[in-house]
Amino acid sequence: MLFDAVARKLAGDAKTIAATPARTLRNWTYTVRAVRRGELPASAVLKVVLSTIGATLVVLALLFPIYWILTAALSGSGSSLYTSESFTLFPAEPTLKPFVWVVGDLILPSYTVSAGIPFTDLAVVFQTPGLELLDASEFGVDRPSEFKRFLWNSLTVAVPTVLIAMSLIVPAAYALSRREFLFRRKILFVYVLMTQVGGGLGVALLIGMYALYVQFGINDNKLALAVYYAATAVPFNTWLLKTYMDGIPVSYEEAAVVDGAPPWRVVTEVIIPMSTAGLATVFIFVFLTGWTEFVVAQTLLGTENYTLPVGLYALVDEYSIPWARFSAFALTFASPVMLAYLFAQRYIEGGLSFSGMEG
Amino acid sequence: MSTVTRAADRIESVPFLDRGDASLLLVLPGLFVFSAFMLFPVLYLVGISVTNADPANLFAGEGVVGVLTFGDAAFVGLRNYADVLTDPQFWNSFGVTWLFVATSVTLKIGASLAIALVVTSDLVRGKRLLRALIIFPMGLPPIFTITVWRGIFSSAQFGLMNQLLSAVGFGSVAWLSGRWTAFVAYNVTEAWLAYPFMVIITVSALQDVPEELHEAAVVDGAGFLARFAHITLPSIKRPVLFASILTSAASFQQFLIPYVFNQGGPARANELIVVYGYREALAFQEYGRGAAISIVALAFIGAFMWLNVKKGRLADGVSD
Repeated sequence: MLFDAVARKLAGDAKTIAATPARTLRNWTYTVRAVRRGELPASAVLKVVLSTIGATLVVLALLFPIYWILTAALSGSGSSLYTSESFTLFPAEPTLKPFVWVVGDLILPSYTVSAGIPFTDLAVVFQTPGLELLDASEFGVDRPSEFKRFLWNSLTVAVPTVLIAMSLIVPAAYALSRREFLFRRKILFVYVLMTQVGGGLGVALLIGMYALYVQFGINDNKLALAVYYAATAVPFNTWLLKTYMDGIPVSYEEAAVVDGAPPWRVVTEVIIPMSTAGLATVFIFVFLTGWTEFVVAQTLLGTENYTLPVGLYALVDEYSIPWARFSAFALTFASPVMLAYLFAQRYIEGGLSFSGMEG
Repeated sequence: MSTVTRAADRIESVPFLDRGDASLLLVLPGLFVFSAFMLFPVLYLVGISVTNADPANLFAGEGVVGVLTFGDAAFVGLRNYADVLTDPQFWNSFGVTWLFVATSVTLKIGASLAIALVVTSDLVRGKRLLRALIIFPMGLPPIFTITVWRGIFSSAQFGLMNQLLSAVGFGSVAWLSGRWTAFVAYNVTEAWLAYPFMVIITVSALQDVPEELHEAAVVDGAGFLARFAHITLPSIKRPVLFASILTSAASFQQFLIPYVFNQGGPARANELIVVYGYREALAFQEYGRGAAISIVALAFIGAFMWLNVKKGRLADGVSD
């Protein structure tokens, strides 16, 4: 249900993107003809062209740091973070070797499985086939990074975070959007305030939290960390989803109620399907909370349980780390986030426009 | 749902609640978990701040009793607060923090307004694409962005910023080892981190400015600056003010930038207040002092937000 809607959206996006060059070309030829016929003064067109170029330059300048890190990763130079070579617009010899260093071996070893057949002495023994996707040593990488361990830690923190947080957020957002009850305005107000204060508050509270976690012996526990992340994700995401649900016309629910649907069916058949985009956005945000948080993870977790952000920071502290490897590590860490974000962007824009704040 | 219904019936029998209040039950779990991880540590922090807690004595106790009695840490009253408030180091950190709020918020508002005006201009084509690109940094993990910016301000000759300087004929600067150069680096990075959020809000506010007003002003012969000052600014004032309040709260609590760049250095000169409290507690093992600093910081941020809510009439927004 949710995935159908997401797939439809993605297909729509792809179509729009594919059609863009043709449409742009048509617009251009139209403009050129209009200028030729003298309907449009050439100076106006020139003004538009120059402004567009200027705006594009501004945007490119703003995004330059990202491009810089990408070229650093592709350059594959062995120089360290603090003596890196002079910047060139395009790497001289692009190589993916740093990325191989990050990912390391992708080898599924073959296991021997034996199963005894009951009531006999016989046993079936067979070997699973080994799967060799990528052997780092073939590319001259001897000691690959610990990316995979960090990745596993990050996943085991982020997935429980999402499960816990969604089960707290969705009912609350529905109630705040559709029902009137005691303290409703007060709760909403606190949530709105916490959307921005939350992050830094976490650091200020860290001393108290650290002491508490150590006392209870859960300071090196990924699940405990996930519960904490879920808790911090509650205010902003509840508010965001509530704002989204406010945009769904009440008449749909009324129609369902008139047709005799019980309350839970109104929720599963009307509210949930109609708020898929909002749910997807909140889902991504909550996932990112667990995926990207650094300070608390670094303070609470032991070396064994380091998540990706903490692993990344540990790289910076090593003065000998080659710049290219650091960049490749950073990009591999950030790329799923970027992809998720690109998809969710329009909803984030909608959610942050504070349309719900004005009304 | 049936448990909820049953609970609703029970709630109905409580005299001062009516049936609709059962919906509160849907909100309570989230509120409870949030409070457990936010309010309880605050209380615990207040507790620590009036003891001489350090790692040796705080973790001496066993089990829940040990937790609630703060181990073997002794009650020292308000001594930590007195110590902190008479420490020049604290006042330095306090001053730098407010200076950082002032400079970085000014920079953020200025840059975001300029960017927003560029990407909403009538003369620019392909605005949707530009807008999509421009808020892209928002999707990057902060720790990623900040470590990259640390590389940009790298003190070596080949840090990106130094290359830029040498390209226009200046010598290279050891950015992160000078007090004010490091401060500038913090500001630039903070502005880059926060501009997508500000631009989104400013752009959506700009799009709500009625086109007719501008057309009428053009007919009356108003230039760009006059229109900006008399039409655009008044119309976008409220949302931009709202965003500025939120972003200044974020600046006040900035932790990652100083921490990743140079641990609030050089020589603790640029420790923003949250970094100061954190380092005092976890790097110098003075839990009591660190807690006292954090409480002072919390008090200030609380007062600041409360003032803004009252003055900026933020509360009106919630009344949907």
